[in-house]
Amino acid sequence: MSLTDADLVARVLLEDDHHAFAELVRRHQSAVRGLLRQLARSDLALADDLAQETFLRAYKNIGSFRGEAKFSTWLYRIAYNCFREDARRRKELVGIDETQLEAEQDPQTADPALRQDLMQALQLLPIHERAAVLLCCQSGLSHDEAARVLDIPLGTVKTNVLRGREKLKKTLAAWREK
Amino acid sequence: MDEQLQEDWLDAQLREEAPYIDDAGFTARVVQQLPAGRRQSRVVRVSVLLGVTFVACVIAYLVSGGGRFLADAATFLVAMPLATVCAIAGLCAITVMGVSAYAAASNARELRL
Repeated sequence: MSLTDADLVARVLLEDDHHAFAELVRRHQSAVRGLLRQLARSDLALADDLAQETFLRAYKNIGSFRGEAKFSTWLYRIAYNCFREDARRRKELVGIDETQLEAEQDPQTADPALRQDLMQALQLLPIHERAAVLLCCQSGLSHDEAARVLDIPLGTVKTNVLRGREKLKKTLAAWREK
Repeated sequence: MDEQLQEDWLDAQLREEAPYIDDAGFTARVVQQLPAGRRQSRVVRVSVLLGVTFVACVIAYLVSGGGRFLADAATFLVAMPLATVCAIAGLCAITVMGVSAYAAASNARELRL
């Protein structure tokens, strides 16, 4: 029987078990790195640096995880804060790099052109709308969970998701009609 | 209805946009950077605290002439007017509440990360 996230967290807290923490990283690395890649506009190196920082902060502060929210929600929150701090440090967000976009394309995706348009449409959204859309529509968080991650009121999350989706729909209207 | 279909289509595209990212050594790199010996430092901290407390108790006992100050304090408290005792108790309660509120606020700040 595999251990739950809560069991692993308890092992890290009580026994400082690095293997248990490694298992937590293995379970959540894809989701955290995926979110950060989208937030960092496909800058893979930056996203992975921020993901490492996220997990290191999670390890250092694991005592403050109360288990009231899912462990993944807690991690998303740390990841989003890492991203915001980094963006503040850089003063401006990283621009779109076409070569990286091409390198990142997934060959299994049905239509690479649609994928690229969707990525670019996402990256054109303001950061608060992009983050809300990614968390709710892509990562499958509830509005309430996204509000905790982004540290904004529930109503604001709903508005941001609605606005973001409307903009994406408008941008991708031509694809939908095909 | 068309609106709903459009939203479903958009959600499906967004989910497809998040393929599984292979670990490719990421976990190993994170584990390598974890600070070592947190448990050891905790043991050291507890030992130091206990040691300092013990030494302080011994010094207090010796300085006070075999703990005589406790008996003196009890006598002093009994002789005090009730209003003064209540005021001291109130002051202590307020101090404890203040310290607890500060601890709760720092904890909440940690949770915010």
